[in-house]
Amino acid sequence: MRLDSRLAPSKSGHSRHSLTVIASLSMLLLAGVAMGAEPKEWLDRMNKALTTRNYVGVFTHVRGTRAETLRIIHRVRGRDVSERLLSLDASGREFIREGDELTCYFPDKRTVLVERRQPDGPLLGALPSLADGGDSQVYEIRGGERERLLGRTSRVVALHPRDEYRYGYRLWIDEETYMPLKTQLCDQTGQVIEQILFSSIDMSDRIPDSMFKPQVDASNYRWLRADRRVASAASPALWDAMRLPPGFRMSSRANQALPGSSEPVAHLVFTDGVASVSVFVEARRPNAQAAQGPSRVGSSSAFTTVVDDHQVTVVGEVPPNTVKFIATQVKSTSPRSTTPPASATEGLGIAPQRRK
Amino acid sequence: MTEERDSQLSAMFDGELPAGECELLARRLVRDDVLRAQWSRFSMIGAALRAERGVALHDRVALRAQSAIAKEATYGHGADDGNATDAAPITAAADKAAGRRWLRFGYPVAGASIAAGVAAVSIFWLRGVQDPGAENLQANTTVPTTIILAPEPASTTVAVNTAATQPAASAEPGSYTTPAPSSTTSLAPSARLANYVVAHSEYSGPLTRRMALLGIVGAEGSDASVGPDAAPAEDVDAP
Repeated sequence: MRLDSRLAPSKSGHSRHSLTVIASLSMLLLAGVAMGAEPKEWLDRMNKALTTRNYVGVFTHVRGTRAETLRIIHRVRGRDVSERLLSLDASGREFIREGDELTCYFPDKRTVLVERRQPDGPLLGALPSLADGGDSQVYEIRGGERERLLGRTSRVVALHPRDEYRYGYRLWIDEETYMPLKTQLCDQTGQVIEQILFSSIDMSDRIPDSMFKPQVDASNYRWLRADRRVASAASPALWDAMRLPPGFRMSSRANQALPGSSEPVAHLVFTDGVASVSVFVEARRPNAQAAQGPSRVGSSSAFTTVVDDHQVTVVGEVPPNTVKFIATQVKSTSPRSTTPPASATEGLGIAPQRRK
Repeated sequence: MTEERDSQLSAMFDGELPAGECELLARRLVRDDVLRAQWSRFSMIGAALRAERGVALHDRVALRAQSAIAKEATYGHGADDGNATDAAPITAAADKAAGRRWLRFGYPVAGASIAAGVAAVSIFWLRGVQDPGAENLQANTTVPTTIILAPEPASTTVAVNTAATQPAASAEPGSYTTPAPSSTTSLAPSARLANYVVAHSEYSGPLTRRMALLGIVGAEGSDASVGPDAAPAEDVDAP
């Protein structure tokens, strides 16, 4: 009897042992799932984390010889998404997004821009995903290997562009939180154009409203708002791109009012599932000198030209030749125009093709 | 001025600043919080970048520099004068907050003196690594650096007004040899272009949207104008 009691594990001890085994098996199973995940799955998880989780992060943005530290605060409450991006360095600029309104504070210019998303525009969660189908035609997605970065275990995933019309990305995705600890924007040769490197991320359950208040008192600044009446009163945007680089398709077309502008602007958006390009068309102002040619804002390329007495500006996180190509393909599709009507199809194939 | 300072730091970081001036700048680093913060950033960035290529020693520097950044970069106290160094020590308060899970990639920070120590250690360590006679130089020079923090080799001498900030006894000269900053092809965006980028960002994906906005909110966008081109009176609203 004593022997039995000594050999037989107690009920509580048996339970503990079982729990340990179950926990170990669960851990192994979870690890196996994680280890076997495809690079696309890591991208999907990252996208989901970026858009659905609450976090407060500090990161360094590096481009060329410039480095700047910024803080990002992201909060999701049901369908309400709030985000604040602010520079901790010299400019002190910050962007605060709440609902369909994006407020941009420029303390160095003593100006505030208030941008409003179109009511019928895509919601944040419906934006193109890195893992959407079709992107494999234009991006090669590879990687998934483990790598230590800043004391964390991450998965390295690369989106390599298959042509010269888009940039590539290399991402170090945290294995635990799926947040991109490091992001590199690369050209087709793999040369890094710019990158983001997080130094801290706080995955808070709750982020107070006070964290979405601007750090500057902007009451005496010049405020510029988009006037919705301008866009609603305008005729439909009858513009389109006759040909597009491979993989790009139209995702949005509408009239839009820009902050500080009394005239509507036709805004077309094209995407390849990762990168997106906007086309803005507006009537040329009388006696205004048209700014034409290439320009750049950060990693965004822009190209401006004049078509049918309208100023066409194409902006996107793509190489300069891509925006130039699209800009030269923008035509009016009004009934008076001799150009064929455009349909919402995408360019396919290796070389740019006429839209069918 | 900020660009000149960054260039000096970049040059020091990459071992391209003459030894004498490197020493002067190092002394200034110890006194200047802003300069030290920038150095910490450069150290962390360089370390993290090189670590991916197998230069393991950089990890150590990255973690130390990271601690300095963690000290400076605290939320709720953004710098309003361009400096992040006066941020309150919110880390401790945040750590106490229930339910918060911190992912700190560096070690705990004991105080500003550590940051100074970090900078000093990093300087001497990096200088040692990049000594032309050192064996481990080969690894650094043969592996192409994917991000360019180094300025172009051409040098110019610029005057730095140190009278207001430097004590006379410092015997610090009023000039540094500052390599010219890298030329960038970007043009200062017009007001309308800045507006376009903001509007465009609203339709970008979660990853590229931030890249687009960073072009404006970041340092490079500091030259950008904002608002209407001609600023007509009817365009301006009250808050």
